[in-house]
Amino acid sequence: MTHLLYSIFVDPFVQMGAAPDLLAQTLWEGLVSGVLYALIALGFVLIFKASGVFNFAQGIMVVFSALTLVGLNEHGVPAYLALALTVVVMLVLAFAVERVILRPLVNQPDIILFMATFGLTYFLIGLGELIFGGDPKVMISDQLRLPGGSYRIPMLGGYVQMQKIDIAATVIASLMVAALAIMFNRTRIGRALRAVADSHKAALSVGISLEQIWVIVWFAAGIVAIATGIMWGARSNVSFALEIIALKALPVLILGGFTSIPGAIIGGIIIGVGEKIGEFYWGPLLGSGIESWLAYVIALVFLLFRPQGLFGERIIERL
Amino acid sequence: MLLEEASTDTFPRLLLKQVEIRPDRPAIREKDLGIWQSWTWTQVVERVRALACGLAAQGFRRGDRLAIIGDNRPRLYWSMMAAQALGGIPVPLYQDAVAGEMAFVLGDAEIEYAVAEDQEQVDKLLEILPQWPRLRRIYFDDPRGLRHYAQAELMSLDSLEAIGRDFAGRNPEFFLDEIGKGEPSDVAVILYTSGTTGNPKGVSQTHAAMIRTAGVLVEFDGIGKGDDLLCYLPMAWVGDFLYSYAQVHIAGFCLNCPESPDTVMTDLREIGPTYFFAPPRIYENILTQVMIRIEDAGWVKRRMFRAFMGVAKRAGMKILEGKPAPLVDRLLYRLGEVFVYGPLKNVLGMSRIRVAYTGGEAIGPDLFDFYRSIGINLKQLYGMTETCVTVCMQSSGDVRLDTVGRPMPGVEVRIAGSGEVLVRSPGVMKEYYRRADATREVIDAEGFFHTGDAGYFDADGHLKIIDRAKDVGKLADGTLFAPKYLENKLKFFPYIKEAVCFGDRREKVCAFVNIDMAAVGNWAEKRNLSYTGYADLAGKPEVRDLVRECVEKVNRDLAADPALGNSQIRRFLILHKELDADDGELTRTRKVRRRFIGEKYDSLVNALYSGEAGCHVETQMRFEDGRAGTVSADLAIVDAKTFDDAAARKAA
Amino acid sequence: MGKTVGAPILEVEGVSLSFGGVVALQAVTFDVREHEIRAIIGPNGAGKSSLLNVINGFYHPQQGSISFKGRRRRQVDPHEAAQAGIARTFQNIALFRGMTVLDNLMTGRTLKMTSNFLQQALYWGAARREELEHRAKIEEVIDFLEIQHIRKTPVGRLPYGLQKRVELGRALAAEPQLLLLDEPMAGMNLEEKQDMCRFILDVNDQFGTTIVLIEHDMSVVMDLSDRVAVLDYGRKIADGAPDEVRRDQAVIDAYLGVAH
Repeated sequence: MTHLLYSIFVDPFVQMGAAPDLLAQTLWEGLVSGVLYALIALGFVLIFKASGVFNFAQGIMVVFSALTLVGLNEHGVPAYLALALTVVVMLVLAFAVERVILRPLVNQPDIILFMATFGLTYFLIGLGELIFGGDPKVMISDQLRLPGGSYRIPMLGGYVQMQKIDIAATVIASLMVAALAIMFNRTRIGRALRAVADSHKAALSVGISLEQIWVIVWFAAGIVAIATGIMWGARSNVSFALEIIALKALPVLILGGFTSIPGAIIGGIIIGVGEKIGEFYWGPLLGSGIESWLAYVIALVFLLFRPQGLFGERIIERL
Repeated sequence: MLLEEASTDTFPRLLLKQVEIRPDRPAIREKDLGIWQSWTWTQVVERVRALACGLAAQGFRRGDRLAIIGDNRPRLYWSMMAAQALGGIPVPLYQDAVAGEMAFVLGDAEIEYAVAEDQEQVDKLLEILPQWPRLRRIYFDDPRGLRHYAQAELMSLDSLEAIGRDFAGRNPEFFLDEIGKGEPSDVAVILYTSGTTGNPKGVSQTHAAMIRTAGVLVEFDGIGKGDDLLCYLPMAWVGDFLYSYAQVHIAGFCLNCPESPDTVMTDLREIGPTYFFAPPRIYENILTQVMIRIEDAGWVKRRMFRAFMGVAKRAGMKILEGKPAPLVDRLLYRLGEVFVYGPLKNVLGMSRIRVAYTGGEAIGPDLFDFYRSIGINLKQLYGMTETCVTVCMQSSGDVRLDTVGRPMPGVEVRIAGSGEVLVRSPGVMKEYYRRADATREVIDAEGFFHTGDAGYFDADGHLKIIDRAKDVGKLADGTLFAPKYLENKLKFFPYIKEAVCFGDRREKVCAFVNIDMAAVGNWAEKRNLSYTGYADLAGKPEVRDLVRECVEKVNRDLAADPALGNSQIRRFLILHKELDADDGELTRTRKVRRRFIGEKYDSLVNALYSGEAGCHVETQMRFEDGRAGTVSADLAIVDAKTFDDAAARKAA
Repeated sequence: MGKTVGAPILEVEGVSLSFGGVVALQAVTFDVREHEIRAIIGPNGAGKSSLLNVINGFYHPQQGSISFKGRRRRQVDPHEAAQAGIARTFQNIALFRGMTVLDNLMTGRTLKMTSNFLQQALYWGAARREELEHRAKIEEVIDFLEIQHIRKTPVGRLPYGLQKRVELGRALAAEPQLLLLDEPMAGMNLEEKQDMCRFILDVNDQFGTTIVLIEHDMSVVMDLSDRVAVLDYGRKIADGAPDEVRRDQAVIDAYLGVAH
């Protein structure tokens, strides 16, 4: 008994203290996967804020965009042109979603819209397999001139290994978040987005076009999906198995709140870091596979203390 | 440039002088449509010229009075200047006065021309018109809502300026000629004082008095062209004329007009004035807002605020005054400046303040210390409309809570046998307008103005104001007895809501105390002391001890003061009910009616003076629902420790 | 009053609206003349708000037509209505609660902004200049409504009366030709009501804006409006000058006598 308590509450910290460079390495890896979680969550938040739709298809949009990019390249389209075309595909997708799903279903209960995004998920899976086949593909990192290799940085009496692609991912994600923040807070479009998120009725009355806003947020979510797809694809393979990472977004959203962009980012990082630390230091104790459920445990613990999430607006149902 | 040799003995000539010295520097700013607009000295003089010529074309003559009614707006200040340029007298009125009060002033000052800010003020003047038909012209600044007013008396200031420019075109020499005719001994402004009894009286102040006084002020705090001032207090108040008008024209700095009375806090933040005056009430409101925001803040901020305010309390005042403080505290204070005081001052618009003044009434020690401890050089001053304020002021580095500082240069202060403070200075008014009788009552043959306040000089030559002279009595042994002073000292403790002191022509001072239900209730809850209501709480021995400690602290303070040492509070009791205006014990403005209370509770007073340990009392009182009833209680009488001079010095 | 009431700017003809089996409006015919203040009164559930919602396109009537500035339509969309110059406020305040007063007012200018999406996204020169021009317009509204002190305050933190004022401001920011006010004074204290009355009269007087308002407070309606239409159970039962309407027996029975 004492031994168990020791190995849970004392030993991991002793290890952390004994090898700080290892701890730093774990933190860095946690941060990188956290950033990617955050990007997926960001896509969810954008759409949820502006239209109140919980977009189940965000995960598959990541895969779909990555497949499109690689697929186009396989058919001989130069990498950067393929990237541009992928952007166009996501724009077309945004228009299609607005026209085929959102507009006919406007004013329907949220659950109906949620179910519709389920439909969208399977449609995209089917479409992707039809066009590009079901085999895993390799991300065209070299063609896109994404940096390869890694840095070995001496730190804390040891070394920390940083993949260049990871550093690039972190930087690009940060730039993207900054760009979104500026758009949201400084521009008319951003103001309109916030307005729609606050009150559809009032937004309509001042002449804001809901259709236009929906296309914009779905397109923005599509761009985020492309970035996520490239980064994630570069670390593993591009396949529909990637879809499970979308499930990681759920605890991030629980943690960060469904409507908060900073919440998605910080939530993503907490989950990413928590997962890696948990896996590395407590994993041996609890057996493997800890990674698949730990995120939910972390989110649940937070949920006990802050039901509205870290940054979510306080939920007040008015009668 | 405009005049051959610009002299500086009247306000219009000071304006010309400023135009000569700094023609293109901003003289005045106003926030309008969200943007700070500014006017240079050259632009100001052109506007004043247009207004003055317009007024002249409309028949305004030397010696005529021009009423000015509204918030602090540039054109209202320029209208004052325009009237003075013509040898007329501006009469600023309180903008929140009701029509009835305004009617009195218009009649008393025989006003025929008025400048009103907006529709609200115009409506009041039109209401007065039937009672005071001699009001010939009403000029308004803001035309909003006045489009359909057809009264012949009404005209916009825009139209007046147009008339003036036309007039000036035909009489190019007129404006400067008129300014040349002004004399320093002319009355520059008539300011109406509310006065506690009777009708308000118009205090006539000359150009010479105001200019000399403001000159002293500018020198005293080294005010110069880099300073910024936000004018937000009523134009009818002597301080606004002195600080926002007289000082500005002498030192040539920029005056800032707030966007609206509701935006003063925001405007303060944007302007960051360097010189600031406010009555204690405003400092208190600001502090309350700070406290509310701190309570709403996250716990990190709250903890930081508490911790660093502790440091400020310990060391802030010493550092401000350049006295030695422990090195650790100095470092912590630096840190606090970065994390707490600096941001706080920034939010309050006080980060650039060099000198801040308060006056008019006593300021609570917590309030005073709060501002000084975060590094704001808050000082007290003493004066009244009749003396151009400036009688005594605290100089930087020599600031104390309980005095108002030393007499200003050129000001003679004398204490009459009765304890009344008498003042002779260049700033003493010329007269109460058309009230020779009232003037003779307050200014004696030697030229001393009788302030009506009682006070004395302490050992360091600082003036200490203790009460209104008519309320001050003497103990049987001849010691000064200043009941309000003692009561205020008691009331500065949060636990004490009201106090009534007795002692005139008696051998010692005794007091009634009302506890503050909220503060003491809170205190009791923290100690798990249960109680049913006011009377029950007031009767608790623990509460008696709490109040006794407060009384003894007051006594210790008093003992250190040779003039008041004998008026320490020997015995007190805590009343069984709260003093109430409905029972006639307080005035409607919540001042205690000492004599009435003494008569109503004469059995209690007798018990205090007869040495008994307690007393039974039955009182009629009115409950909140309007029912009348009787309350009875057995009150314990508490003896408080007193201190002798030497012991007090040692303790202090 | 120096204003001149002109020709009808809005004509609602034979409009019927029902939700499922519930009839909200029944063959209502109603016109508003240019520059006038037109009141709609009636007991709760009489269909007053439904009528406003039809005018600005929230509801699409099953029968009848609406013509605004001479363009006759079977039904309108809110976006079209806004584009044509119709702005409105709501009975239960519909502001963007998370945004500041300034931002709320700026949304009122949505349709006046012309810079394209790319410029917007990049916040380029044209977009920036445009933002400043619109800000100047907004400042006039702020000055007009005397809300300088709350410019940067999030709307959700304001007291109710001020929120109502901000909502009016957002509608004014669009420089509308027709302003629809759904119970602008509901839930206000006396002083706030007086202020709001003054603002409504000033808007009408200074900008010549045509105003349609729904109001419960009879004295307010009588003081403010040029003409009053009375609805009861979705039908118009009276229409005319305030004094005529006040004396109308059907009105007294249906509204004044019974409900109040």
